Parts: sequence; C-alpha cells; structure tokens
Amino acid sequence: MGGLIIMKEVHAGGKLLKKVYVAIFLWFTGRAIQATAKVDKEVKKEFDALPDDFTFALGCLPNGPWMVVGKEKGKVKYFGGDLNSRKIHLRLVIKNIEAAFLILSFQESTALATTRNRLMTDGEVPYALSVIRILDIVEVYLLPKIIASLAVKRYPSWWSFGRKLAGRIGVYTRTLLGI
Amino acid sequence: MDLTNGFAFTCPFKTNSGNKALENLPVELAGLNAFKPLIITSRPLAGCRAISTLKNAFGDSGMTLGIFDGVTETADLSVVEQIRDIFVKGQYDSIIALGGGVVVDVAKIVNLAVSQKVADARQLSPATAIRDPLGPFIVIPTAAATGMETSKYAFLQGKSFVSVHLMPDLVILDPRLTRAKDGKAVAEAGFAAFGRILEADIAPDRNPLMHAYAFTALRFLRENLADAVNKRCNKKASLAVANAVAMSGCVISNTDQNVLHRLGQVFQKIVHVHPGMIIGMCLHPFLDDCMKKDSSLIASLLLPLGGDDKYAAMPEAGRAGEALRDIYEFSYEIYRSLKGKIPRTITEAGIQQYLMNDVMDIINQEPDGAYLRTMIDRVGGGSIKA
Repeated sequence: MGGLIIMKEVHAGGKLLKKVYVAIFLWFTGRAIQATAKVDKEVKKEFDALPDDFTFALGCLPNGPWMVVGKEKGKVKYFGGDLNSRKIHLRLVIKNIEAAFLILSFQESTALATTRNRLMTDGEVPYALSVIRILDIVEVYLLPKIIASLAVKRYPSWWSFGRKLAGRIGVYTRTLLGI
Repeated sequence: MDLTNGFAFTCPFKTNSGNKALENLPVELAGLNAFKPLIITSRPLAGCRAISTLKNAFGDSGMTLGIFDGVTETADLSVVEQIRDIFVKGQYDSIIALGGGVVVDVAKIVNLAVSQKVADARQLSPATAIRDPLGPFIVIPTAAATGMETSKYAFLQGKSFVSVHLMPDLVILDPRLTRAKDGKAVAEAGFAAFGRILEADIAPDRNPLMHAYAFTALRFLRENLADAVNKRCNKKASLAVANAVAMSGCVISNTDQNVLHRLGQVFQKIVHVHPGMIIGMCLHPFLDDCMKKDSSLIASLLLPLGGDDKYAAMPEAGRAGEALRDIYEFSYEIYRSLKGKIPRTITEAGIQQYLMNDVMDIINQEPDGAYLRTMIDRVGGGSIKA
C-alpha cells in the first residue's frame, strides 16, 4: 500500500495576468470616479450626501489590488491602491481574483455577482448602495452601450445624447489627465 | 404535519454552489480560522483534473496546502492513522475532502482523530464519544458522490461512526467537478438521493424544515436527473443533481425512516455495489407498500414531482395515483436511457448466492428484518439459488 500513497505539500501559485488586468481597471476607474464627480451632477449629488472625509475601497481578497476613493475638503479624490493611506469607512470586497475578473471583464454585472455571493460589504449598506450607483454611472460614461449594458443592472436609455457625449468627453479627458 | 409534537432539525453546513464556487475556498477557510488545509482525495476516484482544478482555486491566496491523494476503496483505520500523522507533523489546521464515498469517510474519521488528539487513530471505534464540535472540515463532492458525504455517518471497513459533529462545515459544489464520466454514476447517485429523500418526506414524522429540503431536492432530481444522465456536458443539470445529492445527506441525518437507505448500505458493504442501484430497484415495491398504508402521504409528492399546474389540476383523490405514475415514468426514463447499464432486479445484477447469504444474515439481525427480506424477494433476491 505504501507505494500507492502520495503526499505532497504545494504552495498556491499566482494569477498574475488577471491581477494585472484588475489592477489597471481599478486604477483607471478610480481616476474616472474622481473625474465623473466633477462632470456629472448626479454623481456629485451622491457624494455630497456622504459624510465629509468619507472614504471607500473596492478590491479583492486576499492580497488586492485595491482602489481607494474618498472625499477630502469637499472634493472627490482617488487615493491610489494603499488601504493604509486613510481611514476606510466602507470596503466593497470581491472574494477572489477570479470573481474580480468576472465582474471587471463584464461577464457578470455587479447585481448578478452579489446574488452569486461574490461580494462582501464591510460598512454601512446605504453608503454601499450610493457607491454602487456611482460606479454604475461611471461605467456608463466609460464604456460603450453594448458593454455597459452587461455591467450595470439597467442601462440609462433615458439619458440625453448631449449628456452622454459631453459627459464622456469630460470624463475621459479628466481621467487621462488625472484632474 | 402536527407541529405541536415538536421537532428537531440540524443542518450545520454551509453550501457554496455554482460557477467558480471553488475559488471562494481561501475566504471560506479564513472564515473558519484555517490557513493551512490538508486535502484528502484519491487520484483514481476523484481524477487528476479535479485535483488540479482544486489546486488552482487557491491561486493568489499565498496558502500552503498538503495533498494526500492515496485513499483507496479498501482504506482502513491504518490509512486514517497515516493521514493523522501527516496532519500533526505538517501542522495543518483544516481538512478538505475532495471526492465521494470512501474518501469522505476517511476524511471524517481523520478529522475526528485530529480534533480529539488521539494518539493512535487505529484505536477509534464506533463507541468513541463525539461530544464536542470537530475542527474545520470542508467537503467538495465530485461525480463519485453517494449522498452520504454530507451526512452524520462515516463507514469504514464495517465500522459505523455516527455524530452530527462529523458533518462538514462547508460543502462546495462546482460544475467543473460534478460532471460524471458516464451516465451510470449520475443515475446511481440520483436514485440513492431520490429514494432516501422520498422516504423521509413521506414519513409520518417529517417536519417542515426537512420537507423544505426534500421538496427542493426532489424537484431538482425530477427536472434534471434525466438530462444529467443523457447529456453529461450539461453543467446545469449535473450541478442540480449534485445539490440534490448533497441535500439528501442532510435529510437522511434527520430521519429515522431509512428502509431504502439501510438496504442500500447493506448491499454496498457486502456486495460492493452502489447503494443507488439497490434503492432504485426497491423504490417501486416500497412505494406500493406506502400506498397501501397511507395514500395521502404519497399524494403530497405530486407537488414537487409533477409541478404546480399538475398538482392544481388533479382532484385530491387522484393525486396519489398520479404521483406514483410520475415516479414510475421518471425511473423508467432513466433505466431506458442507460440501456441496461443499471440492473432492475437482483437477478439481473448477477449477485452470487454466497453474497446474498451474507446480506440476509445482516438483514435478519435488523428489527424489521422480515419486512426487509420480503422487499429483497420482490426485487428478485428470493429467486437466486445455489
């Protein structure tokens, strides 16, 4: 029987490509949230309703990457990917890098991923809902309709053409320039 | 259901089912305060692909895993002792069982040995008291599951350990692991689950929580088993069957009504056949007997099996007959699609006389041995002659 028995100890590998994709996506989205808060009145209103110095993080377990966004002196800012840089009031946690890739490559919408037990919220639920609404609006600006429809629960077809076009130009310009 | 009589129901495990469910393992382990798991499996029984899929699911977690893939069909307490030794020396803190049947039985007893810090697992016996919860234990059933993986029972070399603490903390059902190599394995697991659940659900002492599990599992099986047997690439159907099989373990742990289950276990122990084969054979005579005793209990099966419309359209007096017809059609469909791969009688199964004698010896020791014997006779067991 001894010959049949196999025991080995292995170390979990990494998923570098998926991690890089998620990191780039979060970096770009973080900057886009900062930009959208200046361009879109609805996003500005959502942030205004949140407490001063409110900071949230979106990322995945166990080792990130993370995106930290918050308010500083009334302005919305992207604070990079370091969770220790500020006090975090709300953490939206994706349970693993595979789930993060499914969500951020638009194979699953945020709502669907939540029902499939891929996300956890660490903080107040009303704040989390505000952040989800903000993320939905940012995704509508960043993505073409065909992809954004997969990412958000309901694509805002009631938005005027002018809002979408002007908003996209503003969001992309500010995101790329980081202003 | 008379609620004034009082009832108890235990289901201590969490189920994590669906696409990429395996990838939740690191987070779930952390939730159980476990960071260095030992995976117990069998390369021939679970398959190299399943082991590799499980290993990849830990990607990016930074964890160190032990993989013991040498469990065989003939594993005994000396294998348990060997794994216990590995667990202690490797300073592991949790156990993951990947596979079904004997693999999970071994893992349950290893968990008992390491949690109770016994010096030698070979000293364990069914008389060992299991009073406290055991260490973190996760079961990942594959297509080789028999339904007993999630139950409070562990059988090893004729020894039967029973305790709710043997049930897992977490069950993960991932469609990448639940697809079977052949339809026979799916059908056997499905029949085993179907028979056990059905028996519990028509018992006079059923309770609302057990009924909720039974209802869901019966509907999953009725709607998906034929598809899972015929189209093995159908992930949705095989996952639904795997869920029902996992639920059957919980149901059987909460009931004393287990005629079909006991028959299946005796044949598994003596003849080494899948319990689902025997449960499938005995289903019809068992239901005929139940129909004679109290047809109202059979009538209640029409709702999970036939569906809402059929149940609503059928007058109360005809529901029991319609439910039986539905079950017969369902099992006939499975047997027909397998084209004789699963025998319908003990004669067809070609079980040797000396093995049948051993089976009868065990059955005669049961309190309801006479009834069990008639059941075996009615499925062709009585016609086997030396």
